[in-house]
Amino acid sequence: TVEPLEYYRRFLKENCRPDGRELGEFRTTTVNIGSISTADGSALVKLGNTTVICGVKAEFATPPTDAPDKGYIVPNVDLPPLCSSRFRAGPPGEEAQVTSQFIADVIENSQVIQKEDLCISPGKLAWVLYCDLICLDYDGNILDACTFALLAALKDVQLPEVTINEETALAEVNLKKKSYLNIGTHPVATSFAVFDDTLLLVDPTAEEEHLATGTLTVVMDEKGRLCCLHKPGGSGLNGAKLQDCMSRAVTRHKEVKKLMEEVIKSMKPK
Amino acid sequence: MPGDHRRIRGPEESQPPQLYAACEDEAPAARDPTRLRPVYARAGLLSQAKGSAYLEAGGTKVLCAVSGPRQAEGGERGGGPAGGGSALAAALTAAALALADAGVEMYDLVVGCGLSLTPEPTPTWMLDPTRLEEEHAAAGLTVALMPVLNQVAGVLGSGEGAQTDSWADAVRLGLEGCQRLYPVLQQCLVRAARRRGAAAPP
Repeated sequence: TVEPLEYYRRFLKENCRPDGRELGEFRTTTVNIGSISTADGSALVKLGNTTVICGVKAEFATPPTDAPDKGYIVPNVDLPPLCSSRFRAGPPGEEAQVTSQFIADVIENSQVIQKEDLCISPGKLAWVLYCDLICLDYDGNILDACTFALLAALKDVQLPEVTINEETALAEVNLKKKSYLNIGTHPVATSFAVFDDTLLLVDPTAEEEHLATGTLTVVMDEKGRLCCLHKPGGSGLNGAKLQDCMSRAVTRHKEVKKLMEEVIKSMKPK
Repeated sequence: MPGDHRRIRGPEESQPPQLYAACEDEAPAARDPTRLRPVYARAGLLSQAKGSAYLEAGGTKVLCAVSGPRQAEGGERGGGPAGGGSALAAALTAAALALADAGVEMYDLVVGCGLSLTPEPTPTWMLDPTRLEEEHAAAGLTVALMPVLNQVAGVLGSGEGAQTDSWADAVRLGLEGCQRLYPVLQQCLVRAARRRGAAAPP
């Protein structure tokens, strides 16, 4: 299209978008749990073309000196050149860093996992969960895809039983006895693109993000509590519009929770 | 990592729990040395790349994307989770498929196949080893073949053991494996081309 913005405006006037979606409609969402056999937990999420895979590896570490009864959760988002021609190979670029920090904030604010649950022996031994998120196909809205992939992967993680041998003071791991993580809350992200300072489009594609005058991401838990609000500059939004976004985020949460429950139920026990 | 401001900080050091687990030396089960694991190949699945291919063989999964062409630098970027045995062989095949999917003109597809040598007392060359078999192997070999031209594109091996002629036999076994894989890859490219044809505007 020679004039992409004009092209979009013609559709928006009729309250829909070129791909046929309504302004408040999400793309087809699919989730696949447990596909990486070498990880302790994994999930693949697709929002339309946007594809993010999350792999979780659990390792042992000494708890931090300022929090001896806590473990670690370390997220890392990778946007490799294969997901989009805008990215180059090398250390994390700006967008990857922003997304990693966003995920870290969501984990911290939502308390999806209590770090105290990751402690094995205070001051001596704790779990560290390395959560690697890799975007395989970038077609907009990676924040929502990453949040969903992380949550689904965490629900898939099984940690082996660990006991500290009193005599040797060494850890003894029983790989045959594993248990799932205690997931406290289920944070779900809903992102919007702002068009011409006024219209809100949910789940923007890469093209829509490019044409937008601003973006907003709302992260809610199942109790309707706000975990995170991410609004990196762009068009201002008044209270009423923010409230609309929050309401959409609440309904999206129900959609995502239902999808995840269906997937988990259909999985064969490991 | 101290001073790395681009990543979320974690602990200074960490160890995998497997180091502290009861040592279970799981030996790989005996099997037909010429068996090839069923392969799933799919081309043209990434919306942002010019060409792409996904290959799954047993537990090994490789995803490859091709972008470009760009000035001077090579237009290929590989990536994706590996692990599961014969990762290099799978990566070679996926790369060739992705290039074909991108429409890059090539003399032929390159197909890769892995082999591993079981340790004493009876060293045998196994085709398409699993990760467990590779871990217990005395030697490993990867061969790459261009099936239609019947030309060997590459051979990479390392390790110790078995008679010299058995290595030649192993290469032959690997090349046979490549030939057996070829029809699956052809099918995959035909399907991808059909899908592209169906999606393209008239």
